Parts: sequence; C-alpha cells; structure tokens
Amino acid sequence: MTSAVMGETVVEARRRLREALLEAGGVVGDGKSAAAASPPLQTPFGIAEPVEGREVTAVAVGAPLRESRDAAFADGIQRYIVEGRIGVTPIIRAYVGAAVLDRRDRGLLPAKHEAEEFIVAPLERLTDATVAKLHETGLPVHDCGVAEREHPILDVQLAVQQIEQRRRRAEVSVVAAFRREFPDAWIVVDGSLRAYDEEARESRLLGVIKSHETQFLAGVDLETALTLPEAHRTTVFRRVGGREDAIHSWYLRLWDWVGQDILFGLVRVERQRGPQVLDEIEEICSWLLAERSPMSTPDTRWDRLLYPIHEVENYLKARAGSWW
Amino acid sequence: MVVEGRKDGRTERRTVEVDERCDTPPVAVPPDPIGRVVATERLPASPHEFHFWTEVETPIGIGAIVRVEGRARTVYAVVVDAKAYSDLADPLHEVRVAAGIPGEHVAPTHRTEIRLWTAAVLRQVPQEPLQPVPLAEVFLASEQDVQVALRMESYVQVAEPTGIPIGLYATGGVSAPVYLDANFLLGPESAHLNISGVSGLATKTSAVEFLLKSVFTHFPHSKGRIAAVCFNVKGPDLCFLDQPGDLTPEDLEMYARLDIEPTPFDNVHYFAPFKADGININTLRSHADLIGSVQPLVWGLREVLDYHEVLLNRDDLDAKAAAFIDFLIDRVVEKEFRDEWGTTHRVRTFSELERLFRAIFDGLEASGRGDTWRTHHIATIRKIRNRLLNISTRCKGLVTDDGTSEDLPFGTFEDRSLYVIDVSGMDQLAQDLVFTRVVSKLREHLERRDLGVDHVIVFADELNKYAPEDGPDTYVRKMLLDISERGRYLGLVLFGAQQFRSQVHRRVVGNASTTMFGRMDMDELATPGYQVLSRATKIKLATLPKGEMMLRHPHFTQPVFLRFPRPPVMTGPAGVAAYPPATDVPFDEAVMRQLVALDRRVSPNSVAEIIADRREDDVRRALLATRRARPDDVLAYFRTALGPRVSHAPTAPAAAGTTPLQSVEDPYAR
Repeated sequence: MTSAVMGETVVEARRRLREALLEAGGVVGDGKSAAAASPPLQTPFGIAEPVEGREVTAVAVGAPLRESRDAAFADGIQRYIVEGRIGVTPIIRAYVGAAVLDRRDRGLLPAKHEAEEFIVAPLERLTDATVAKLHETGLPVHDCGVAEREHPILDVQLAVQQIEQRRRRAEVSVVAAFRREFPDAWIVVDGSLRAYDEEARESRLLGVIKSHETQFLAGVDLETALTLPEAHRTTVFRRVGGREDAIHSWYLRLWDWVGQDILFGLVRVERQRGPQVLDEIEEICSWLLAERSPMSTPDTRWDRLLYPIHEVENYLKARAGSWW
Repeated sequence: MVVEGRKDGRTERRTVEVDERCDTPPVAVPPDPIGRVVATERLPASPHEFHFWTEVETPIGIGAIVRVEGRARTVYAVVVDAKAYSDLADPLHEVRVAAGIPGEHVAPTHRTEIRLWTAAVLRQVPQEPLQPVPLAEVFLASEQDVQVALRMESYVQVAEPTGIPIGLYATGGVSAPVYLDANFLLGPESAHLNISGVSGLATKTSAVEFLLKSVFTHFPHSKGRIAAVCFNVKGPDLCFLDQPGDLTPEDLEMYARLDIEPTPFDNVHYFAPFKADGININTLRSHADLIGSVQPLVWGLREVLDYHEVLLNRDDLDAKAAAFIDFLIDRVVEKEFRDEWGTTHRVRTFSELERLFRAIFDGLEASGRGDTWRTHHIATIRKIRNRLLNISTRCKGLVTDDGTSEDLPFGTFEDRSLYVIDVSGMDQLAQDLVFTRVVSKLREHLERRDLGVDHVIVFADELNKYAPEDGPDTYVRKMLLDISERGRYLGLVLFGAQQFRSQVHRRVVGNASTTMFGRMDMDELATPGYQVLSRATKIKLATLPKGEMMLRHPHFTQPVFLRFPRPPVMTGPAGVAAYPPATDVPFDEAVMRQLVALDRRVSPNSVAEIIADRREDDVRRALLATRRARPDDVLAYFRTALGPRVSHAPTAPAAAGTTPLQSVEDPYAR
C-alpha cells in the first residue's frame, strides 16, 4: 500500500467516524492527537448540589458588558530547582510570588506584590549539621515532610506541595492587603476560593477556575455543564464538604467549543454564598464575557485565561526575572 | 527684554528671557527619568547605539537628545528610531473579539504596550575606555547637556569662542542654542556648507540668509575680515537683503536667544548686467527706490577672453583653436599689432576684433596666399571668429562691444558686507561666465591677500545644474570642485544649495563639512547617500516643517534637528510686492531715471537736452563712468564724460592705395 493510499484511507476513516459522532447527536472535537497520557488527577470528583433550581440547566447570558469595570486581579507563580541531594534526599530552592494588578480606566497598574525565595527539604532525613548549613545560606528553610520511605520522585512532589502552599499563602496575603486598602473593590483571583477564609470571601471576590480537574457534577448535570453553548452559564450549584459549603459556583462558556475540545472556553466561577450571588450573576457573567477581549494569546490557555490574569502572570514573571 | 513682531498683519509683543550664551544656568529639567535602557541578546546596547523604553505619553520624539546616567559613565545620545507594540500575537485576534466590526467592542483592559526608542550615541563621558551604554535611567537632555553632547563647549565655552549660532534645538520643552565651529565652517580646519531640500518647502535660501547674518554677527574679529558673494540665480530670492522682513514674536525670541540682531544686512552691494538694450538693468530690483543701489555688471573683450574655456565647448576648443586663442591673448588683445598688410590694430573691443578678422580674411584673399595665416588655418580662424563674436550676442547686456567694463570691487571688499550678483535674467552661458570669472577673481585676490577681506563665502544655489554628478565636465564644475577641495586654505568658502544632493558631484558635497537638510523628497531619500539614516529619521526629513533643518557638523557625531528663525530680510515675493519692478523704458527715459536715482537734484529736462542727438554708445559710456564715480554733481560729471558734441557728417572714403587712418570710425581720434 502506498503512502498516498494509506493517507486517503485514514482521511476517509476519520471522516466516517466524525459523521457517526454527529449522527449520534454528538459533536466533533479539534482532532488534535495526544502524544502522552495526562498524569493521574489528585481529586477528580467533588460533591455539589443545585442552588438555583432543582437541576443544572443552561442559561443564556446577556451581551458582554460594554463598559470596563474597575476591578483588581490576583494570581501567583512558583518556581523551583532541585539544587542537590544529600544521599537521595532532595534539597530544593524555590521562589513564589503573588500580585494584585488594579484596573482603573482600562489600565492595569501593580497594586500589591509579595515574593519569597526559600529552601524546601524533608528535614527529618537531614542531620542537624546539614540543616544548620542550610540555614547559614540566609534563605528561609521549610520542611516538606517525609513519605513512608525515601523516594527520589515522591520526596520532590512533597516539596512541591509545600511550595504550592506557600504560593497560595502569598496570593491570599496580597489579596488581603489589597482588600484592606480597597474594601469595596471587585477582586478576581485565578483559581478556587478554597484557600481564602470566609471573611475574605464575604466581599466582592470572584474565583475563576480554568482547570477542570475536579468535577462536582455528574450525569446529565455534568453533560449540561460541559456542553454549554457559547455565552451560556449553568445554574448555580453549591460545593459540599466542610468549609467549601459556603462556596457557590457555576460554569460559564466564554467561547464556542464546537470543533474544539469540550473544555474549550469553559471556566468555572466561584463566589461566597449569599443572596448577592443570584442577584448579580447576570451582570458578572456579562462582565466576564467582556473579558474575552483582549485575548491572552499567545498563551495556549487563552480561551480560558482572562487577559488581566495573564498580565498578572507576566508581571510576576518579569519581577522574578531569570530566577534560577 | 520685550520683542515685537508681526504675524498675520498684527503686531505682537512678547517678553523674552535673554540668555548669556553658555554662562546661562541650564534650564531646569524635571529630575525624573523619562525612560530606562533595555538590552536583550537580540537588541543589545553597544558603544554606539542602545534602546530604551518610556511611558506611552512622553515628551521625546525622533531627534530628541537624551542623557543616560550610569554609575561611572554618562552617555549622550540622539533618538533615531522608535517602535510601539503590544502583546497582541496576531491581528486576527483583534478581529475575532470585535466580531469583524471595528469599534463594536472596546476591550475592558488596554493591552500592555511599549514605546521602544533607539538612540545613537553622540558622546560618552569618559570617552575611554569606550564601553557599551550602561543599562541605566534615561533623562531628557538639558541645555547644558546639549552643549556637552554636541561637544560645543570646546569652541563655545573658551576664552576666544568661535561658535556661530545656527539655530535652536527644541524638544520636550527644552531649547538650546546650537553653534557651528567657525574653524570648521569657514576654514581652515574644514569648510563649506551644503543644503539640500525640496523647492519651496525646505527654506534653503532662508537658512543661508539667516546663517550669513549669524556669521556676520559672530565671526570672531580676531580671525579676520569676511564678506559674502551671493549669486541670485532665480527670481527675486536675494534681491531685497537690505530690506526688513516680517518676523513673528517667535522669530524674535529665537534671535534674542541666539544673540543676533533681527535687522537686515546693512552693507549690501548689488550687481546686475544690462538687458539687451544696454540701458535697462536686468534685475527684479529695478524699482525706482532701489535701482540706484544696483551697479551694472559690464565686461569687455579682455574679461571674456580670459575665460574663453567657459564659453567655448570641448568641440570648439581643440588644440588648434586653443593655440589661436592663446595667440590672440598673448600678441593681439590690448597690444599694438601690425598685420602683414601694413595695418596696425589695437584690439580692445569685439568691434576691433572683428576688424582684425576682416583684415585677415581680406588680406589672405587679396594676396592669394592660400589658407594659412601665421600657421593658423583659416578654418580655425573662422571658427574662433564665429564663436567669439557670437558671445557678444548671447551675453548681450553683460558683454559690451565698446571696451568699457564695470566689475565687482576686487581689492576693496568690505568687512561683513554682501555682494549680490543678480544673474537670474541671464542666458545660461552668461551665468556660467559670471560665476567662473567672479570666483576666479576672488581666488586670485585671496591668493595674493589683496581682496580686502580674508574670507569670502560664495553662495550658489542650484548646484544640481552647476556641478552635476554626471554630464559634461564643464569649466564651472571644475571651478566648484576646486573651491570645494582647496578653497578652505585660501579662505574661499562655498555655501551651496540644491534640491537633490544625489545629483551633485560627490566631491562637491563630500567636501562640505557642514550639511543641512530641509524637507526632503522621499525618492531622494531612497538613494544610497541616505542609507546611514534610520527610516524614522528619513520620514521626519520628508515631513519637516518650514524653519526646521537636520544638521551635520564635524563636531556632532550624529545629525541633529534644529529650528531657525525666518531671515531678518524681505523675501523675494514680498520684495516684489513692496517694490514692483519697473517696466523697461525708452533709452532717454532710462538714462534720465538712472541719473535721477544717483542725484535727486538732476532735472529730467536738462538730461534730455544733454543726450539729444548723441550716440547711444557714447551715452552709455558716460552713464557708466558717472555711476562708477558717483560724483557730487552728477549732471556736470555726466556732461563732461559725454564730451563735446561731434558732427556725424559722413567721412570721405580714403583714396585708393592710401593707408587708412587709424580708427577712422572713432571721431575722438581726430
């Protein structure tokens, strides 16, 4: 079989498959090949129950807000390097930073910034003399705990968890600092509101989640959520479980996903529970739709990454410079 | 001080702070930096160029001078290029979010954008070791910074300054006088000025007029006496340099800052040939109030013959022709010359030369001696006769047939005076002759140090025409090349102007140490000579407003943009409007007017009576003599110069075989 014939056969097979998907009531994807399997998800499932109606439904969102809303945007970054090992125990140098950019009259200006450079290591596995040597570097030294046995990869993952915690702490800190200065300002944070205490969440705080690792819905509700048309939202649901009970959430489709992956242009929005959630949801959705412009290209997550959040990332990267 | 000016017909007053040149404390400059140097592997900072960013709203632009303050190094530079861009990855993304309709959707956030400037280094302090520009803060240059950046302190802030103000550098609220070094503009270190720009918009003539005023004001007396000779080659451009022009308060403010009196030239001498009628002067400065100050420019056979190379083309001037002309110059002109047929000739005029030629042809024919006279072939003699006698026709008005001449005052040139020669109404051949002869005479006198001044500026416009890059190698072009290459040693300086620099001989423009560019044509800027300029600089040049120029000078390592005021003299069009040229008048009337212009007491009737029935050539000669002498009693002098009335009764022909009397047509020879 010549390559041309083989190519025709592949194309034909693909065409037939896509037609079959459509005939079955499905939609076709972007056709991108996956070279490697995604890593296993840490928390793939969560629990939620409807707040707005009895089941999750799709609701059309109004036109994008025409005027720019003054608001602040917060995000954080983290970097780390395995500087060396004592035996098989990793010694990691890390950097975390978080910032708030304040948008006034369509212009973004840095408002708050925190950054920290530190050492992370499983201190239990190190001798006192080694730990003392690490302290002598002048950098703060943090313990990341230990697994049941030494493991060259798992030990690093534990350290990364510690780094992520410190990054989230920095994010919470800059948001709190900004909140103290501007108690009535809207703040949009990148990611979940879980890390923020209830007092912080009481205010005008929105979490915009781009990754959909944890799915709170199931069955028809999930399909409704993940197949939302462009400029539609789901009805509001409540996360269930401990302090998360106070967080209300909904999905919002920013861009048409037909011809793309199912998660294309899909974000999940979180807000502290309260009557204001339903009162202001239409306005918030219109606002977030308007944030599709400017696009955050060339970032590959541009379909879900709000431009101001993208700018916070760029700002933090610029502040970090060529940190190594 | 309070200055007064006119603009749009209104008089305006303005208070001007007069700076004491370099002793003035620098203008207060905001201490805040306006930018910061950035360098990447792709856009590194080098010892000669660097990049910096500023806020979107910034006072600087192309041509602005900036200062970079490093820890142990200060760098001065001029902005030569600029870019603005945002983080937009693809223009299609904008189209997509706007649904293809511009203005349909305004993004809630302005994209991050940058103003990235490129600057060319003017100077580094310390100069050695030469290093890349530090990645430091960038400041707008103060007045003091401009002086240092352009290395002007070496000739302005010294005991005997040689700075010649050329205009004001003005950017971002800072203005600073810019000076040329007289040693590099007028010699001996280097010399010459060249100005390029499109007609009408580049204000080339205005720039030269202003610069001449500045030179006459600031040229150090210790360096000697200076004068300028200007050739008015078109229209009335240079015809009113002694008349005040309209100046706005802004102009007057600039004059005050540059320490130049905004007054017209007070010592201007005008020269122009006659028209073909030999009595009306061929100039647009012919208004009755001004014609008295115009000297006729009249040359005779000797003046022409000395520069025959200008008038005869290469085809005419073969070796045989040149030999015959040399024979005429050496043996015949203004000498007693006895031909083979017994006639003695004294050739001083074209008429007398024609009589010599006639005698040769007649003698050869009568004697049947063949076709050679004194080794010169008759065909050569005929050719030279035709060419030379044709000159008096083509250059009628400039070249006289009667031997009189009226010339520039070589030997008595006055310090800081202008000599304007109006050749605008002349045939191209005559223009070439005037230019060549005047410049040659200047050169001769400067070599002998007896011109009356030590330095002469020669201003010639339309260098495209006189010294073209290609085309025939004319005598005028040779002359311009000679000035360009050797003039500075003599004190002979060329201020040249042209529309297209690329079309002027490269050695003429290349030898000009100082170069100015006004509004330029984009096609011209696309020629190889402008490759060193950035695209932004070219675009600025192509859109320069009147009164702005780009300047290159040996002390400046990069071109600098500057403004200069309107010249303090009446422009050509304004002059023609204020002093409409007189129409040509009949011979008698013209004589009467010219005498009245010399002396208001002269009565028209008495002039008419004196010149009645007199030969026009005699009247012309007497008028020229009177103009040259400028006596107290003009009429009496004119009458004396004209001589007694002589009968014009026909003279009986000489008897056959008798040698004719010498100059029988000259009644005064009797």
